[in-house]
Amino acid sequence: MTSITAERPLSEQFPRLAADAGRLDVGELQRIRARARRFAKEHIRPRALEIDRRTGEEPAWFDWGLVRAGGEAGMLRLLIPRPAGGDGGMSTQAAVVMEELCVACPGIALIFGAHALGISPLLLGGPSQWDGVLAELIESEYTTEPQLMACALTEPEAGTDVEDPDLLRRARITSHARRVPGGFRLSGTKRFISNGSVARWITLLMPTDPRRPADTWTCFLLDTRSEGFAVSRVEHKMGQRACPAAELTFDEVFVPDERVVSREGDGAAATTIVLACSRPPVAAIATGIARGAYERVLGWLTEDPAANGLLQRQHVQLALAGMEEEIHLARQLYMDAASELDHTALGGVVSHPAVRALAHVPGSLRRRAPLRGWLASDRARDATIALLHRTTSDRAVTRSLALSSMAKAHGGDVAMRVTGTALDLVGLSAGPVRAELEKLWRDAKLTQIYEGTNQLNRLEVYRGLCRSETMSCLPPLRRIELDADAAARANGHGRPHLHTDEAEQPRVEGNGGRA
Amino acid sequence: MSATSAVEQAEIRAMARELAARELAPRAAALDGGGRDVFEECWRLLVELGFDRVLLDERHEGAGLGIADLLAVVEELAVGEGGVAMCVLLCNAALGTLDDEQLAQVPAGARWAVLRAAPAEVSGVDGRLDGMVACALGAHGADGLVILLEVPQPAAWAIVAGAPGLTLEDDTAQMGLRAARAASIGIAGIESAPRAADAIGSVGIASAPGAMALLRAGTAAIARGISRCAYEKALDYAQARRQGGVAIIEHDAVSDMLAAMAVRLACPQRAVTDSSRIVIDQAQALAMKIAASDAAVASATDAVQVFGGTGYMVETGIEKVMRDAKYC
Repeated sequence: MTSITAERPLSEQFPRLAADAGRLDVGELQRIRARARRFAKEHIRPRALEIDRRTGEEPAWFDWGLVRAGGEAGMLRLLIPRPAGGDGGMSTQAAVVMEELCVACPGIALIFGAHALGISPLLLGGPSQWDGVLAELIESEYTTEPQLMACALTEPEAGTDVEDPDLLRRARITSHARRVPGGFRLSGTKRFISNGSVARWITLLMPTDPRRPADTWTCFLLDTRSEGFAVSRVEHKMGQRACPAAELTFDEVFVPDERVVSREGDGAAATTIVLACSRPPVAAIATGIARGAYERVLGWLTEDPAANGLLQRQHVQLALAGMEEEIHLARQLYMDAASELDHTALGGVVSHPAVRALAHVPGSLRRRAPLRGWLASDRARDATIALLHRTTSDRAVTRSLALSSMAKAHGGDVAMRVTGTALDLVGLSAGPVRAELEKLWRDAKLTQIYEGTNQLNRLEVYRGLCRSETMSCLPPLRRIELDADAAARANGHGRPHLHTDEAEQPRVEGNGGRA
Repeated sequence: MSATSAVEQAEIRAMARELAARELAPRAAALDGGGRDVFEECWRLLVELGFDRVLLDERHEGAGLGIADLLAVVEELAVGEGGVAMCVLLCNAALGTLDDEQLAQVPAGARWAVLRAAPAEVSGVDGRLDGMVACALGAHGADGLVILLEVPQPAAWAIVAGAPGLTLEDDTAQMGLRAARAASIGIAGIESAPRAADAIGSVGIASAPGAMALLRAGTAAIARGISRCAYEKALDYAQARRQGGVAIIEHDAVSDMLAAMAVRLACPQRAVTDSSRIVIDQAQALAMKIAASDAAVASATDAVQVFGGTGYMVETGIEKVMRDAKYC
């Protein structure tokens, strides 16, 4: 039994989408939603309880069959830009899909959500990323071994701290990316990384100077086959178990310069933009969980004789109406936040003539030496940042982050309330539906915690909306002012670095040199 | 029988508290994982202290205490492990409905459970019981069951484990209070003499309504124990964990949640009992149960939030508290 509000056409539910019609094809979005709903119904829901049970016993167990099926249904390519062969989606597409998948199982949905999160930082790298790993991900979909991505941010001593630029300044960061000739050596530990144990590629953030994590927070693209990388444990979670959360250790893992995403020191800004982009889909995860609980309890009350006429009781009717109301509002919030980001905050850069022109250049030409070399150059990275500055602003991104945070915090609370009420309605004697509802209730709790706790998210709302503060969300136009050694600019690539010589930077062992 | 003095009740409470801290809390994860050997070991310790027969008198090898004492015991036990506390409550409530003759047949150390069946689930007519009850807490492995019915008139039916016509199926999906392992119960034509609503058990509990009130008041006490457990764990963690250069308890976002937990605990939720040890007011018992279970869910959910991502992991033990709270 599907929620009536979820059945409505997207253009009718969200008139604002029409304003973005130049960039966003609402009909295509509608088809993506239908595809996700079909995949959830045919592949996810029938296996959800069994996978939850099995991963409850063996946390590291992983169902690659679902990933293959998801790849065939287009769930892996949503955010990959069209020039790289993907669907070119942004926050809106990811959110719409997440709600549909989470109605069936948030844990399985998280596999695809964490994959999209791993891709997100690469999108900020601009066209230079189109022909590398992103294209490889697309190619892998046509094989029997599709590749997954993950994003590694949280550390054992810093969870919420790493999701806020101000808190990051005082965070107890224990990881360290040490500058060496030709690249960086990564040391430290990352924790609770969704898809961490199954990802082929991981975008991860570490400081190049642990004494100044906020200024030197840098995004790297890691090949998980690199020497020194290890999955040190897979967590036993309360819920969302189908997607493994892993602890990752880095023992002097080498990452070459060309796998620094964007520029050294741009990581804090990149994190802010990525969170503004990823929180609406997380809010959609929560909304999907709530809808899943609502649809199940409504189905049970309507169809199961064990419900024994409960549906005729007014207090049950009021509870159902309250659920529908909360789910509808949660959906409006996340779609508003996603539209704000895709259309207002980042719409300008995506639809900029230069980006569009590059997108029309055939891949075969783009991958040839002259253009490929330019796209990988520091100048191109600077140009990407400059384009961001021309097409958006710190204020626009701050506001977008606040709306995303509001949707995420509200959605998480709605998921807990609705799943809790659904359990109260069916009681312990409801039969199989009880196990599904209990699973959704366990799953729901994580939506109040990951992607920043709800408390942190509401503080972002306070800063961005209540106080109208403007955060430094965009990477600086040039990072030369951070350059400690002018000579470093001539180190072969001409890229500015905080530290370019091993002799300058004391080698830090073990925990990565806690400041 | 006279009610215990405040001093005696404090001693009983202290004894239960010590057992919970020393024996139950360290075994909480194993009990949650379904370890029956661990459970039997805990049950043996509880029996040694007489917690399985708090309400029974010396004739039936009981402690001869009152309902207020039982509620204090299960609250303290629940601070250590909620499922074990539920088994203690269920056993005392079940045995409390039996008469002297029935109790004489119950061997020492036996564990009984009691459950309420809705009219749609079980019918009891002409001395014959038929039906099915899903997810009866504590039923798995119980030596006997007392089934409470409300129609055609309130009555309690006692069934010894293994009785012909009684089948139990393990509830593998049970989410909370897993030490009180649940089972689906099938009842096919069991003949028994029900005890009518006004029949008084050996300890003075009116069989069916009295047991229901006791179950509700006892569940409230267990919920309160779970709330205390959540608060204590969250407080310890908030004082130890640092973020932004200070212990997280210094952040308003965290201290607000801890304060809310403390406020919920400060609200009086204990049952009023009289000297005959009968829970006085059925409505009061129900109100206590609702308020205490809501408070437990709120506090346990906030406790997981205080722990953040760590709290979502099984190894910290706080997510188990949240699951247990939802079952109250």
